[in-house]
Amino acid sequence: MSDGTWVTLISLGVTVFFMLGTPVLLVIFYWVIGCSFVIGLPLDNTGNELLNVFNKGFALLAMPLFILTGDLINQSGIARRLSDFAYSCLGWLRGGLAMAAIAACGLFAAISGSNSATTATIGSMLHPEMVKGGYDERFSAATAAAGGTVGIIIPPSIIFIVYGFLMNLPISELFIAGIVPGSLMVLGMMTAAFIICTANGWGFLIGLSPWRVFKTAVGAWLGFFAIGLVLWGIYTGKFSPTEAAGVTVGFCIIVGLICYPVNKLMGNKPDQPVTEKSLLSMFVVEGFTLPSLPAIVSRSAQITGILVPLIAVSVAMQQVLSALGAKETIGDFVTGMGGYYAVLFTSMAIVFVTGMILESLPVTIILAPILAPIAVSVGIDPIHFAVIFLVGASIGFITPPYGLNLYVASGVTGVPYFRLLRYATMYLASLLIVWFAVALLPSLSTTLLPGGGLYQILSGGS
Amino acid sequence: MSILAEAGAIFPAIFSGDTWEIKTAFRTDGMWIFCFFLTIIGGIIAAMFFRLFPFMDRHLERGIAVATYLMIAAIIFWGVIDRFIFSSQWAGSTTVPPFLFMIMAWFGCSYNVRLRTHLSFSEFRSKMKPTGQMAALTMDAILWFGFCWIAITTSLRFTVYSADNFQLVDGVDDTMKWWFYITVPIAFTLMSGRIFGNWLEDWKNYRAGEQIIQTAVIGGEV
Repeated sequence: MSDGTWVTLISLGVTVFFMLGTPVLLVIFYWVIGCSFVIGLPLDNTGNELLNVFNKGFALLAMPLFILTGDLINQSGIARRLSDFAYSCLGWLRGGLAMAAIAACGLFAAISGSNSATTATIGSMLHPEMVKGGYDERFSAATAAAGGTVGIIIPPSIIFIVYGFLMNLPISELFIAGIVPGSLMVLGMMTAAFIICTANGWGFLIGLSPWRVFKTAVGAWLGFFAIGLVLWGIYTGKFSPTEAAGVTVGFCIIVGLICYPVNKLMGNKPDQPVTEKSLLSMFVVEGFTLPSLPAIVSRSAQITGILVPLIAVSVAMQQVLSALGAKETIGDFVTGMGGYYAVLFTSMAIVFVTGMILESLPVTIILAPILAPIAVSVGIDPIHFAVIFLVGASIGFITPPYGLNLYVASGVTGVPYFRLLRYATMYLASLLIVWFAVALLPSLSTTLLPGGGLYQILSGGS
Repeated sequence: MSILAEAGAIFPAIFSGDTWEIKTAFRTDGMWIFCFFLTIIGGIIAAMFFRLFPFMDRHLERGIAVATYLMIAAIIFWGVIDRFIFSSQWAGSTTVPPFLFMIMAWFGCSYNVRLRTHLSFSEFRSKMKPTGQMAALTMDAILWFGFCWIAITTSLRFTVYSADNFQLVDGVDDTMKWWFYITVPIAFTLMSGRIFGNWLEDWKNYRAGEQIIQTAVIGGEV
């Protein structure tokens, strides 16, 4: 049998394992091992990657720290305050709570960098309220799943870190390039939520009260401060993304530990409605105690313990694919499509289809080194292509069969996976429109970068 | 030399304390045989240890992961403060954390094996009959074991290679890289123990006619 036949058989075999519920980590690992045997790569090559991946730079370290940030802002009550603020701004519109959930995902994503943390936090926090507010539970769960996709586009972002790490691109520039597309994703999904809710008459309306908006904005000040701290640090180059993550973690821990006793002293109750809270009490979040810190960190460690091994085996997989000549095959296929637009759309199609069956990390690690050089060779800006690629990869979070956010949303809301799909598809349509807009208008990605339109305006034309 | 003789030669090499000899012995194919038994025996011992000490069962890997996580955050956070306020920075603030990250990731991975929270597509499995579920879980256990076996073998080789080359952590005097690398085979040995422990638990549930596959929750407890 030829090598190609063996590789096909191995691929089919691991697909069967995947369908039978074998963890994705093992599925990828055994594909790598099987193919290594076929092409004569030593097993040490794969094994060494389990240690080597950590030696490849400081940048990857931002990933666990941003995951921890997500858990800390959730436990300290900052995430709750951000969602209160979003609701007070949008509650007067039909589907206001759903739109607030998506906006809260965007704000949460601006501090954390993880899609699953965004979905899990916002989903568990707002799903009960949405169901109580007359929304369909399937729609509510799908909203959390879809909203979580921006978790990896609005900076800071774990996947941008991995992409920058792999492609040797400045992570801070990638972060900045994600701001406008991420905001457009939020707007696109909010529009979809508005249309769905208006058509179905879901949700209660609350009046737009400037006092309530002001009060909740005051309540969310720590969240805004954290967002500002991250963006300021990265944008001005004061610290690297990894250091920004470390600073945010330190900030959240200090805030959480200080606010807890202050909040107790002020006699605030955690479940007290915003309208009943005094303006002064809004300055302080719930916080957490020092003994509860290990439990918070433990949850983040668990998520890191799932994602990092996946990165390690995906790097090994990418090496095997290179040895198999996949780079040349896909490269020839994509290049053979023609010029700028043909390469662009073919790449997008490949990312979309792969995102349906693989998690975004393996998609990025495997495909980015193959597609990005081809895209650059036809004149696509590398930063712009990174954004196109990663928006596509983020859409993969809500595309079945392997839509990670759908699993997370199903897990935190208790709505069965397959029941989520109907409304997730509607959000998918809005995300696809945004994706094409981002792909066709490079200025959306580069406008905040040096030389971009908004950059010129913000920097006073210098 | 036969593969069994190569495996047998690993013991004296280890006890010689000479990294060159250890490295030479580890590079043979006999290392795979040696590590196969190391993974089984180490795993059984780890499973028994977790059974005897329920506190360790709940907290060992998690405790190590949490401690290293907080150390990483503290080192990086302090690195920034140090630079901005005191205009200095410890040279190891960017080179030591990646090693701590490695420790955290693999001990965290082992803990996820215990909790069965690694990402998987479980829609079909959850609808299988108990015998099918038990077969699928047994298949998982075998695959996890193979993963540990390969990881232990290759990481031990990697570790001894690093020790033999006197590799120091960049920017830090008298801190050897292999001190960190050696934690990886230890984490995989614990993982092997988790595999045995989980499989025995599944088998017990299967025999008792109880539910075998339970919903795993990220952030849940053992």
